[in-house]
Amino acid sequence: MEIIFIALKDSLALTLKLLCIILPLSISYEFLKHRQSSIEKKNFAVFGISGKGFIPLVTGIIIGLTYGAGVIIYSLRTTNTTKKEAFLILLFLSICHAIIEDTLIFVVIGANGFILIGFRFALAITLTYLLYRSRLFNAQFNGFPRKDGRIEQ
Amino acid sequence: MLVQNTLLHMNTFYSTVKRGFLNGILITYKMVKVIVPCYIAIEFIKHLGLIEVISAFFKPCMSIFGLPGESALGLMAGYFINLYAAIAVITPLQLSSKDMTTIALMLGIAHSLPIETGVTRQTGVNAWLMLAARVVFSLFAGIVINLVWKLFS
Repeated sequence: MEIIFIALKDSLALTLKLLCIILPLSISYEFLKHRQSSIEKKNFAVFGISGKGFIPLVTGIIIGLTYGAGVIIYSLRTTNTTKKEAFLILLFLSICHAIIEDTLIFVVIGANGFILIGFRFALAITLTYLLYRSRLFNAQFNGFPRKDGRIEQ
Repeated sequence: MLVQNTLLHMNTFYSTVKRGFLNGILITYKMVKVIVPCYIAIEFIKHLGLIEVISAFFKPCMSIFGLPGESALGLMAGYFINLYAAIAVITPLQLSSKDMTTIALMLGIAHSLPIETGVTRQTGVNAWLMLAARVVFSLFAGIVINLVWKLFS
């Protein structure tokens, strides 16, 4: 019986610590939503991801897939991003998402935050770039180039 | 006119903060529902002495990541339920900073797989491929960080 009480107390203490992280974050998400339209207008492209694709990307990196799902699905569907771009975005996000929240809640229980962020960003960027460059991946969407240089659909 | 404008701005400011605050409370409520039962369950398992059995069982496969056997529980909780469950499971185990960072990195890349695969499917990208990629890279990251950490310490 005693164990239950101790566990209850400890788990509530842990929840309280996490609450201190989640509250400021959830409030800043709401502010971020207002800023989104200004990011949309910037025009740039990094490894196959265009300015349009940047909103779902940034949303995913900061907020995460579960809570950012609405924005990600909506913007991928409405701004006719190509299938190839969507795949690259999702690949990047699958490795590197909810970067603030995930990192902070693990830092609370004793992990090293710099290693976490650094490693995930490095891995995500490397993989996305390699896939963007790979011929096999591009062939999936464009068809294999033939001997005479024309592209087979 | 100026006063009216300022009032309008204040209004949106407060409603934004309020929305963020309520969201934060909602997330925390969802979190408590997972954390408390998981925490109590783990304390029970520890009390009954089952942790040694589980630890010995998972030791061979967890040693690839340089983790103690019982951390497999936290990894499973994170993969199948969500990060909060994983945190509730690994906090009572009192792991070292290195072990915590390794688990955090692995779970950061792949977590709440049932829910997030659902999200991925809605974006129109091949969800199974993405699921496989996440699990593979999660395990890969665990192996790499173990080796790198050993190299630098």
